[in-house]
Amino acid sequence: MRPARFALIFGVSFLAGIGLLLTPPVQSVDTAFSRALVKVSHGLIGACGGHATRTGAIMRAPSGFAVEMRDGCNAVNVTLLLWSALLAFPAPWKMKVFGMAAGSIIIQAVNIVRFISLFYLGQYSMTWFDFAHGYLWETLLILDTLVVFWLWVNRVSRSTPVPNAA
Amino acid sequence: MQLKPQTRFLLRGSTLLITFLVLWWFVLRAPMLSLLRGGIEMLGGDVAGETAAGDWTMRVPLEGVIPATQGRAAQQVRSVEFDIARADVNAFTFSLPVFWAIMLAIPGLRRSVRPLAIGTALVAALELAMMFLYLQIVAHNNAAQLGVPQGAGAKWLLHFGEYLVVTVIPYAAPFLIAIWLHRDLRGQIFRASGEAKA
Repeated sequence: MRPARFALIFGVSFLAGIGLLLTPPVQSVDTAFSRALVKVSHGLIGACGGHATRTGAIMRAPSGFAVEMRDGCNAVNVTLLLWSALLAFPAPWKMKVFGMAAGSIIIQAVNIVRFISLFYLGQYSMTWFDFAHGYLWETLLILDTLVVFWLWVNRVSRSTPVPNAA
Repeated sequence: MQLKPQTRFLLRGSTLLITFLVLWWFVLRAPMLSLLRGGIEMLGGDVAGETAAGDWTMRVPLEGVIPATQGRAAQQVRSVEFDIARADVNAFTFSLPVFWAIMLAIPGLRRSVRPLAIGTALVAALELAMMFLYLQIVAHNNAAQLGVPQGAGAKWLLHFGEYLVVTVIPYAAPFLIAIWLHRDLRGQIFRASGEAKA
């Protein structure tokens, strides 16, 4: 792998992805995606015996506390980070598509855990909510994404011969 | 039981991230904000004051003209003054503890000392640069609200810049800098590639 080529493709695809994300048509898809994630979270809370009501991308507790999944909270930017790294890494397209699909599912699964945990944390303490929402969960999500990429690179190396390997 | 290096890194990284961010939230935040403010002032930024809530009042030089309207002459704008919430400034101090946590999650502390020192300086410089960029973006947005004309392209570019500076770079940069600086981490992640095997 050539590091400069990787860095260039990674940087350009990530910036292009963010640029695209901020265009009005993609923003409407992004909002619909956030609503879908809140719907899944709401369903999971109900299935586990919890109580919450949902309006669009807003989830409300019986105590009155409400949390909204907004742009930036739906982990789309972290998913773009992973996709850019997968695109930049030299691997067969089949492996890249597999990495994108599997990685997105893992990231969104962690993100749903994050959203549900924030929903309960906010009812307990707003200070801890601000800390976990603004800083802790976001960085943990990026750490998970890095590990997903690392595991994917290992999988690629096992399934494809490296041309310049001895 | 032998854990995979990825699992070990995830567990160590998560534990250290929680530890360092809690430490930052309760202990380091205030001194780091003071250092950031000192850095801004040293580089010519103008922190005009601080409100009782800890928000910063900033004065940013910006040239612009508010066009004349019926009954009001054109106005020259030379600087914009605005408050930034303390919570918003926090985002420009928390990349350092994240960077430290990632570096210390890599096994082999002795090999991490040099990249840790270089990276700390780099991340601190980046935080300061991002803060200046953020001030410019907020100043331009405020000027537009006052009536200084702003094209659609410039508006979108400011939105794009703000998204990167606030939502992306403070979170992603510590990880990218750690991978770039730490040969062992980079080698382990990319071991499968030709670079490491050749």
